[in-house]
Amino acid sequence: MRIIVPIRQILDPRGFTVSPRHERIFINREEYIINPNDKNALEVALSLKDAGEAEVIVIAGGQARLDDALREAMAMGADAAYLLTDEVLAKTDAAGVAEALARGIEKIGDFDLIVVGQETLDTADAQLGPWLAEYLGVAQVGGVRQASISDGVLRVRRNWGAGYAEVEVALPALLTVASGANKPRYPHGGRIMAAYREWQVITWNSEDLGLTAADLAPLTQGRGRAFPPERTLGERLTGSPQDVAAELVQQLRLRRII
Amino acid sequence: MDLDYLQMLMGEEEVVVEEKGEGYRNIWVVAERAGDELVPVTLEMLNQARQLASTLGAYVMAVLLGGDEALAQELIYYGADKVFLCDDPALKDYALEPYAKALGDLFAEKMPEIVLFGAADVGSELAPRLARRLGTIVLTNCTGLTLDAAQRTLVCTMPAYGGEYSEVVAFSPEVHPQMVTVRPGAFGRPYRDEYRSAEVETVAVDLDGVQPRVKVLNVVAQVEREPVPLDKARIIVSAGRGMGDAEGFALVEKLAAALGGEVAGSRGAVDEGWIDEEKQVGMGGVTVRPDLYIACGISGAIQHYLGMEEAKFVVAVNADENAPILKVADVGIVGDAKEVIPAIIEALGA
Ligand SMILES: Cc1cc2nc3c(=O)[nH]c(=O)nc-3n(C[C@H](O)[C@H](O)[C@H](O)COP(=O)(O)OP(=O)(O)OC[C@H]3O[C@@H](n4cnc5c(N)ncnc54)[C@H](O)[C@@H]3O)c2cc1C
Repeated sequence: MRIIVPIRQILDPRGFTVSPRHERIFINREEYIINPNDKNALEVALSLKDAGEAEVIVIAGGQARLDDALREAMAMGADAAYLLTDEVLAKTDAAGVAEALARGIEKIGDFDLIVVGQETLDTADAQLGPWLAEYLGVAQVGGVRQASISDGVLRVRRNWGAGYAEVEVALPALLTVASGANKPRYPHGGRIMAAYREWQVITWNSEDLGLTAADLAPLTQGRGRAFPPERTLGERLTGSPQDVAAELVQQLRLRRII
Repeated sequence: MDLDYLQMLMGEEEVVVEEKGEGYRNIWVVAERAGDELVPVTLEMLNQARQLASTLGAYVMAVLLGGDEALAQELIYYGADKVFLCDDPALKDYALEPYAKALGDLFAEKMPEIVLFGAADVGSELAPRLARRLGTIVLTNCTGLTLDAAQRTLVCTMPAYGGEYSEVVAFSPEVHPQMVTVRPGAFGRPYRDEYRSAEVETVAVDLDGVQPRVKVLNVVAQVEREPVPLDKARIIVSAGRGMGDAEGFALVEKLAAALGGEVAGSRGAVDEGWIDEEKQVGMGGVTVRPDLYIACGISGAIQHYLGMEEAKFVVAVNADENAPILKVADVGIVGDAKEVIPAIIEALGA
């Protein structure tokens, strides 16, 4: 059985501070880590591998620095890694990366299961999983917490409202894994050296994927950043209980506290 | 009405609508329901859609899958100008394939300019899938939606790193339709206006050969939320002696539940016997560092303050305008907690 896990990378939040006053992010140490939710996805794939015969392949698209993330994923237990990168791929947006990953997955071929982290921590992008499922024409389950396989049937526990649902889906299929669904394993001591020094990351460029710069032109335009209002102590709300309550709830939402 | 104009446009062969993005009109809200109730984010989307619609000069269309006429009426009361109701029995319970087929066909025909989905269970699964099907993309988990009037594109705010700041991104003008998922709770709820009236159009869906591929074995409606230890809680609602009696304390518990937070108390509340000593915040109790600390009827004695000074955001409700807690609160409300707390619960829509 072949399981493919796409891996994305984000700026390590421990390396920067956010200053609402200056409306800026101050980067002290520019380091990149695997998107935490993608590690939850990898953990689901690796636990399926632990439970039976499976080959886990990781794939990433975009900048060359993703090489590092793929090697970490191999150190955690992935068997093979594919990196889709060149100048064009490095400059595309999330939609372009999705397109590249879809082509890459098709090119690897013969997959039974794709496991994707539901969203990225840096941009709250939750598009990739279902988008890929549609592209590849496979069944899909979102909000996944756990998965197990028997007789070619995947049994999944997924978030559902305030509770959960237990569902069954035939392979091939795609799962998007809920953030925090599990505690991802650490890279394996014995694998670390090999993953970084010996093992190959197979690299494909946009031409290998049959993609041109026009195919990968960004479909979105960055418009900068927005910062929550600065903290000011001692503000008083006045008015009727209904008025102050409405004002309070609005402020908390504006500040993304609730 | 604009729909007729749209039909006219689409009917005329020589008008090339596809390439130019012309003919894409109106803001569509994909209603999400749980059983026979609309989930809150549906109403919040209608609220935001109304505001965008007035700027754009567009209508707010709602589409309801598997619901009934009464639920369609609710969508109108909350702001829809028209409801498309797909009441095929196959859509009664959510299944991705039939839902995606119904919406995909409808959107291919009606050509919406903007489509809003809730970033809840169903919307999160469906929106990117439909985006791909319609050859477009989706921006997800939006907490803010405005318009770039010159370009006629949506400008979306998405929380970065759990809301430390936000990324602001606009669709490129050539993207049609512009699809987003809206984070629950990001927008307020609209007023329910029973005087609003509008058309409900029942649409037939062609589900020939469309089979759900996911089989639901069982659903557990509610899981007991595991209590989070206070020192790790993200939201804490804390009661003091000022809550008056056990009934007042129960209001604090209700507010905590509405926020998905934990309940704590001052020594005053512990002394009154409303809460266990291990839930006492302060010098003689636990030190907490939540994102939000709501102090209800707590004076804010130094021994208490030392246990919560590292909270990122403090709200205090106190009857005495000179209470020390109000000086260290980000937002202070002077008033009777027994009146203010129920109003907050109400405003949260819980
Ligand atoms: C060694 C030592 C250690 C201590 N450790 C702690 C500790 O760990 N934690 C702790 O909390 N305390 C501690 N204390 C006690 C502390 O000094 C205070 O006595 C205690 O915090 C007071 O609790 P309170 O604010 O609930 O009650 P009170 O001081 O009685 O305050 C009640 C407040 O409620 C307000 N109020 C009344 N009615 C209403 C209403 N209807 N609506 C809104 N507001 C209303 C009042 O204006 C008042 O501000 C310690 C004391 C000592 C000496």
